[in-house]
Amino acid sequence: MHLTLSVSRFDPKADTCPYLKEYVLSWEQHETVLDVLFKAWHEDPGLSFRRSCRSSICGSCAMIIQDRPRLACQTLVGDLIGDGGRLSLKPLPGFRQLKDLVVDLDPFFEALKQVIPWVLALPGHDGRVDPKAARLAEGPATCILCGICDAGMQPAGRVSPAALVKNIRLAVDPRDALGPGRLKIAGLTGEGLMTFRELLAQICPKRIDIPTVAVE
Amino acid sequence: MITHDIVIVGGGLTGLMAAVEASPGADVAVVSKVYPTRSHSGAAQGGFNAAMGDDDTVENHVFDTVKGSDYIGDQDAIEILCSEGPEVIRDLETMGVPWSRTGDGRVAQRSLGGAGYPRACYAADFAGHVVLHTLYEQSVKAGIRIYPEWYLVDLLIENGSVAGLLVYQLASGRTEVIRCKVVIMATGGYGRVYQKTTNGHANTGDGMAIAYRAGAVLADMEFVQFHPTTLYGTNILISEAARGEGGYLRNVHGERFMAGYAPQKMELAPRDVVSRSIFQEIKEGRGVEGSYVHLDLTHLGAEKISERLPQVQDLARRYAAVEPSAAPIPIEPAQHYSMGGIRTNLNCETNIGGLLAAGEAANVSVHGANRLGGNSLLETVVFGRRAGRRAAYLAGSAGLAPPPKDSLDAAMERWLANFGQSRPEVEGDSVFVIRRELNRTMTEKVGVFRTGEELKEAREELAGLRRRYSALRVPVKEAPFNYQLTEHLEVGYLLDLSEITAAAALRRTESRGAHFRLDFPGRDDRNWLNHTLIKKGEKGPVFGTGSVSITRYPPQERGY
Ligand SMILES: Cc1cc2nc3c(=O)[nH]c(=O)nc-3n(C[C@H](O)[C@H](O)[C@H](O)COP(=O)(O)OP(=O)(O)OC[C@H]3O[C@@H](n4cnc5c(N)ncnc54)[C@H](O)[C@@H]3O)c2cc1C
Ligand code: SF4
Ligand code: FES
Repeated sequence: MHLTLSVSRFDPKADTCPYLKEYVLSWEQHETVLDVLFKAWHEDPGLSFRRSCRSSICGSCAMIIQDRPRLACQTLVGDLIGDGGRLSLKPLPGFRQLKDLVVDLDPFFEALKQVIPWVLALPGHDGRVDPKAARLAEGPATCILCGICDAGMQPAGRVSPAALVKNIRLAVDPRDALGPGRLKIAGLTGEGLMTFRELLAQICPKRIDIPTVAVE
Repeated sequence: MITHDIVIVGGGLTGLMAAVEASPGADVAVVSKVYPTRSHSGAAQGGFNAAMGDDDTVENHVFDTVKGSDYIGDQDAIEILCSEGPEVIRDLETMGVPWSRTGDGRVAQRSLGGAGYPRACYAADFAGHVVLHTLYEQSVKAGIRIYPEWYLVDLLIENGSVAGLLVYQLASGRTEVIRCKVVIMATGGYGRVYQKTTNGHANTGDGMAIAYRAGAVLADMEFVQFHPTTLYGTNILISEAARGEGGYLRNVHGERFMAGYAPQKMELAPRDVVSRSIFQEIKEGRGVEGSYVHLDLTHLGAEKISERLPQVQDLARRYAAVEPSAAPIPIEPAQHYSMGGIRTNLNCETNIGGLLAAGEAANVSVHGANRLGGNSLLETVVFGRRAGRRAAYLAGSAGLAPPPKDSLDAAMERWLANFGQSRPEVEGDSVFVIRRELNRTMTEKVGVFRTGEELKEAREELAGLRRRYSALRVPVKEAPFNYQLTEHLEVGYLLDLSEITAAAALRRTESRGAHFRLDFPGRDDRNWLNHTLIKKGEKGPVFGTGSVSITRYPPQERGY
């Protein structure tokens, strides 16, 4: 089978603005978008894109695929197009395009510091955690920091979406001194949390299940 | 010139643990070719071993590890690994790792291969991920300077000691020099020498190759672990946790064939044993479609699978189009772990002053000829912590060396030699082609079953590839995100490490742990109860042997 891959190209040293470049490539049923990107790269070694794990766990390969942000290694070509179809790849919006599909993620990692992004250990906590409480943290703890929510959603309360996910993960941890109080500090209302939950469910590639915690 | 006391190369579990440990007393920086949370440590699913259960003991853990190593793990190092384990798990607990929990709130533990007890601390099947993210939180808390997407390209050694590093910054496309007192190599393994591997794209063994070129001793590079259960075709890992939770391996007739190979441990025999058994089944015509076997989880039920093995479920659905509660998963063995690495002492020091190494990049050696599931994650945090501690001590007791001069000139000369116009020996040659051929040679001839003849062929083929590689150059120099350049450098590292692995495998004329020679099928303690030590010589690797630390457990027959 064949496809036409259209990729947003931009080299800050040579181009004044991004342009689209097309590649005609072969593909097979089980292949991911990352697999076909590698084929394009082998034809055109100057093409830049991030990758690491190729199993949807490291968060490197977020980009706009067709119409929406997705992980290239998680997206099967065959789920989007058939033989002879067109596949369009663009960099994640909301961040500066540094080169081709690579965007500037420093602001994304910086934004995590809008909350206190670590467990503020309760003094004297014995370390035991009720399994039910532990399960609440499981959803938000699977966040892979891919940047898709920050690219595609408005901040909820005072903080960026990914920082909020981190904050919720910490808010439900019984070892944390701020606990549920974290959400109020972040400027979140109970209603805001419910809306955030629904919006995130539509966009997050890890389909993170945000626990419904009471905002104090 | 940038200056720090300690520079840690690698932002995986080892690197971040070392950084967090060293940071209160020293100026620490982490250089990593991917953002730390993108490191391959995050892909680890199964768990961290530590003898914390009521009936388990440190002695049991030591013995299982020594036996698993086929008796060439260093017992002094293994004692440290196992005895510091519970303490480090408690440290991680204090840092806020979201472990899965038992009914009474303790860290939950599961069984992995080769262990006598449920010993692996887990968080569903995201163990590496949650600890990596927790350590990243801690490094933010400690204010550690991180240089993400900076590539180490050379070590600057003056008078036998580290004076700094030459690094390439992906975003700017330029090199920088970092001066420092101590470097910790935490750059992970080199799984990408194989075509079939569970390792991510970043695992190209850079640190091992760069240290080796700078004069560091490598050890035991012939010991490469093949994981029994990776998705057929893509080789994405299906964690041993799947068998730890009760999964079965079945051949084309639906038989649990492990009964014929390891009647006691069955599916939870060590990985070398299980991988060979799978190949044997396939070879004797009992593979499914002649080429793979089945991992059957259907009897566990949908609920247990989605509670304990959510990632496995997701991976099987997405990458193999199999619903694991309804149908068995097609699997095949693939490269998974490098037991070999930069040789260190118990404090993670190498033979080069100021150069430390830990984690998968190092060989201390706790895994010997075969690593047990759950012991590598434990090694990253136990020895990452020790490396951080030692580095802080060394940095506190030494001054900064004068700015590197001769070593920098030499490094820049090597650097510039990467650029220019290729004069390919073969029409259409490129680093992509060379990498593909190297991967094929290693998978076919330096794989699970080895013979002297095939290893010699591999050596010849690799020499040819090296010659072809030496005719290639990178056309553009200062380009941002120049992945063509990083590919060129990485293929160079892969070539070095493949050559060493093949030569070491040819040299060891016995079978032990993951190294299995069809032409020498027995273990030979008289001649080979020793480590392989490898140093760079004028015309390639020079081999020697090192003694194995045996404190309490003399070698025995290894049955499962
Ligand atoms: C899929 C999978 C599952 C696993 N599951 C388990 C398990 O359940 N239990 C267990 O005990 N073990 C497991 N392992 C093994 C274990 O995960 C690894 O051995 C361990 O995580 C290695 O950690 P590390 O910190 O040493 O290296 P890595 O996590 O690989 O990190 C290497 C770091 O070095 C950096 N780096 C590399 N080269 C350069 C360079 N040139 N310049 C700058 N930076 C560089 C990278 O950016 C990265 O940050 C698994 C391995 C895999 C592949
Ligand atoms: S919450 Fe989801 S979308 Fe946002 S960074 Fe985490 S994994 Fe990505
Ligand atoms: S490469 Fe890691 S998430 Fe896609």
